[in-house]
Amino acid sequence: MILVLAGVSILVFSVMMILPPGQRLAAYVTSERVTPEQMNAMIAKYHLNDPAPIQYVRWLGNILTGQFGFSVTAKEPVIKAFDDYFPTTLELVLYSTPLIILVGVWLGTLGAVRKDSPADHFTRVFAIVGYSLPTFWLGLLLIMFFYGFVGIFPPGVLSNSIRNVVTSTGFHRYTHLVTIDAILNWRWDVFLDGLYHIFLPALNLVIINSAMIMRLMRSSMLESLGQDYMMTARAKGADAKTLYKRHARRNALLPVITVSGLTLAGLMGGMVITETIFNRTGIGWWMAEAATQLDVSAIMFNVLFLGVIYVVINLIVDIIYAYVDPRVRLS
Amino acid sequence: METTDNEPVARVEHPRWQELSFTAKRFFRNPLSTIGLAILAFFLVVAIFAPVICPPKNADPFKIPHTGWKIEPQPPSAQHLLGTTEQQYDLLYGLVWGTRGAFKIGLFVTIANLVIGILLGAIAGYFGGFIDELVMRVTDIFYAIPFLVMAMALVVAIGRGLTAVIVVLIILGWPSYTRVLRSDILVIRNREFIMAARASGSSHFAIILRHVLPNAMYSVLILASLNIGTTILTAAALSFLGLGSDTGTADWGQIVSTCRNWIVGAPGNRFEYWYTVFIPGFVITLFVLGWNLLGDAVRDVFDPKLRRK
Amino acid sequence: MASNHLVETENLSTNFYTFEGVVRALNNVALVVDQGETYGIVGESGCGKSVTVRSMMRIVQAPGRIDGGRIMMFLNAEDREKGIEILSRSEAYMASIRGKDVSMIFQEPGAALNPVLSIGEQIGESYQFHRMTEMLGETIAALEGKSGPWKAFARSLLRRELAIHRRNSDRIQTIDNELYKLESSTDAASTARKRALNHERDKPVGESRLVGFVRRLPFLRRYRRALDRTIGAHVIELLRELGIPNPENVARRYPHELSGGMQQRIVIAIALACHPTLLIADEPTSNLDVTIQAQIVDLIRELKKTSISSVVFITHDLGLVAEICDRVTVMYAGDVAETATVKELFRHPLHPYTQGLLDAVPKEIQEGELTIIPGAVPNLIRPPSGCRFHPRCKARMDICDKVKPATLEIEPGHTVACHLYTKDRSNER
Repeated sequence: MILVLAGVSILVFSVMMILPPGQRLAAYVTSERVTPEQMNAMIAKYHLNDPAPIQYVRWLGNILTGQFGFSVTAKEPVIKAFDDYFPTTLELVLYSTPLIILVGVWLGTLGAVRKDSPADHFTRVFAIVGYSLPTFWLGLLLIMFFYGFVGIFPPGVLSNSIRNVVTSTGFHRYTHLVTIDAILNWRWDVFLDGLYHIFLPALNLVIINSAMIMRLMRSSMLESLGQDYMMTARAKGADAKTLYKRHARRNALLPVITVSGLTLAGLMGGMVITETIFNRTGIGWWMAEAATQLDVSAIMFNVLFLGVIYVVINLIVDIIYAYVDPRVRLS
Repeated sequence: METTDNEPVARVEHPRWQELSFTAKRFFRNPLSTIGLAILAFFLVVAIFAPVICPPKNADPFKIPHTGWKIEPQPPSAQHLLGTTEQQYDLLYGLVWGTRGAFKIGLFVTIANLVIGILLGAIAGYFGGFIDELVMRVTDIFYAIPFLVMAMALVVAIGRGLTAVIVVLIILGWPSYTRVLRSDILVIRNREFIMAARASGSSHFAIILRHVLPNAMYSVLILASLNIGTTILTAAALSFLGLGSDTGTADWGQIVSTCRNWIVGAPGNRFEYWYTVFIPGFVITLFVLGWNLLGDAVRDVFDPKLRRK
Repeated sequence: MASNHLVETENLSTNFYTFEGVVRALNNVALVVDQGETYGIVGESGCGKSVTVRSMMRIVQAPGRIDGGRIMMFLNAEDREKGIEILSRSEAYMASIRGKDVSMIFQEPGAALNPVLSIGEQIGESYQFHRMTEMLGETIAALEGKSGPWKAFARSLLRRELAIHRRNSDRIQTIDNELYKLESSTDAASTARKRALNHERDKPVGESRLVGFVRRLPFLRRYRRALDRTIGAHVIELLRELGIPNPENVARRYPHELSGGMQQRIVIAIALACHPTLLIADEPTSNLDVTIQAQIVDLIRELKKTSISSVVFITHDLGLVAEICDRVTVMYAGDVAETATVKELFRHPLHPYTQGLLDAVPKEIQEGELTIIPGAVPNLIRPPSGCRFHPRCKARMDICDKVKPATLEIEPGHTVACHLYTKDRSNER
């Protein structure tokens, strides 16, 4: 596990080494005003022309002691930028992921149980179209219709009036997640406003990502239904509900657990487009800016962060899997 | 484990031919696969006959001609059959010539990924031990890297453009193929006929080529056919973010990005610029849908578990 | 007709509608299984043995469908004369007799057990489906003496469940009684009434809303623990009766942790939990070692003496048939070739196929080589015309590929379907 993270860091670092020293300077700068002479001095000072391995070790040391450098795009230290942007992304992920899994599993089971019925065909068509939609296009269409035409669900994170409330001193930001904070502060107007802005991006994500889970669940359920133990259960006198819920579905959910974990991890990293389109200032949006301007420190930090997330999620998925599938447990 | 095999007594046709006709029959049994194939055929024709449908007006045929510099997109008319985007780029031209780019990306990236994936996967799976460990660790590392973020960074670092996108997608896309092939090979490696081939003195290379790969290919091919669509979507996303070709190039993602300012029309005519938002995205969706349907059909036909009902 | 029958099938036809064509798996199969006997069904792989018994229990897998014939089951203890026509009953009725009156054990015990449920859970299911009222009653009684608010809460919920169960059982009993009375009536009014009753029967069992709600809450759900303990005690008792060592430990385990023989014993336990009248064993020993095979066979023999009435034993092993069966049917390609008592079959096999099977088994005094039956089992999508065995039969006559031979009784209790006997004997059955 640590090995993987180390590998990620090496890989990211080598990519960044492609760039000339001037651009790599950002990792060490704390403000944005530097003259060319200062830059040269700093290049010499931070040994940015040294052999790569030495620089890597130095950089690694910085990372491990919490010095992540300065983000050119965010115009503040990387850590602070992360603090500002991450909660927005996290909030969207928290709302989308359970919905994606639930919708995917429900539609997939429906399709498998009523195979070849109109419901099955409909969900399959929905899934394959959803799978083919570009995220950005669907987002634009949703905005065009809901916001442009109907006039609801505006993009952005909060409307201006609510934003004033949130940044005021009376409002305690415990978690920095708008909706949670709203509940904790007992401000329902903030809560509703937050939801109002989350709905459309969440819908976008759900439509596109549940397609894959739906397809997987359907095929997994079909395979489960064809197994011998289903025949035993029928021969015991099981009723239809028990047959599907207890016997078929439990077995069918196993591969879905793994894929759900991967989807969650991918979602964190793939928010770029959704956030850009819906004007949500989360880490995805930040990354879009950072990549276009080659904000080295920001990119490196985020890649590392998402790598850690991936490893952690995998670990959790493994644990859950072992809990659910007795064949995997160690004695 | 016992298997009872009931071999039919005599084969009238040549086995390979029978397999092929059986495969073809199964393929076309599902109406969706025919639709998918039809969609792709349509796009192929468009791509091949691009110069005929939309004769290029600039030296570089991929630069969309534009009449004038007016910002506001124009609705479909006799002159511009599908309308124009911002700054008067002809939509029809852009979409038609963009087909070539789409095919290029989809096929180049996927085939390259297949080759790399098969090579590494075969070596890892067949030889096992340290080599296997090494390849698997590298694959794990690539899996841990956030795809889109890394792709964006790499494209910018290398230098934007279609080629950069292709290169980056190849660099980042091979791990899943490696894993799939390797797991299939691990299963096949222990089958008796491989040991028989070893016992009769074949070299490793020959064994891999003639015995292992033909049996392990199915899953990886299915993966490839299912992945082409995703690859194209990712490439379009990168173009949309401005990391692909420049403005005015015939690139689908690029064209969609130009419509961002025109999502909502003036009050009273909200859908005024619907064509510039709707049409390019629809074309992308249709193209990817065709590939996805094809991929599904390939999977239905080639999945060994489903093959004999 | 003799009133000793337990199951009787007549003209049973089952077909599988696959992509490659219609597989005519069963071709007018007729069998009679009596009370208290061990009935064997033998034949090569693919001849329809499994399909026959699965049709009997109506658990034929899609794309299969029972397309014709009658299956009569004589399960009523008081009235052995009157049978119940299985094919006309509702699915809910079938679910109530599966596992309770008729049980089945399978060939691959490892695959037959659900890998994610523990042994105790899987055996316990049989109790949950068929003996729930009893279990609830016992649990409530066990909780009577206990004091405390939680116990009282659990008691009241369980009592509610019991009341609902009793109401449902009564409702089902009334429907079944009326259906039984109308069983032999065939006039229009009765048929319509039967259809309405079957529809009623299929309606799902209602549940108290309160109970349903509490069951879904993660913490309050614990009220069922007492019930689980009661069922668990029965499960352990059952395992002990079957001679499984250390039953408490085994109940906690999962299928993949047990050996093949042990798994098969668990499958038998599941089948026996509710003391069925008929046990169907579909090649239960074909995948096991010979020593385990002997143990399982002994177990079945023991059980037949004590708890089960009849056993239908499917196998391709003639030696096993000789060992444990009273009567036997030989099947070939979806047809019944010959039926007789075991002694009679081995002494005077009439059908050329039976003769071929017996010739192929090495005997104590063996002269020369073993003879085999040439050819292979036919494709049932396009089965051979007339008698399905004619392509491989050494006694083939002209008529054999044109007309399907009728089943004739040559000796009392010994029937055969072969043209060799149609002209000579004229005891039409």
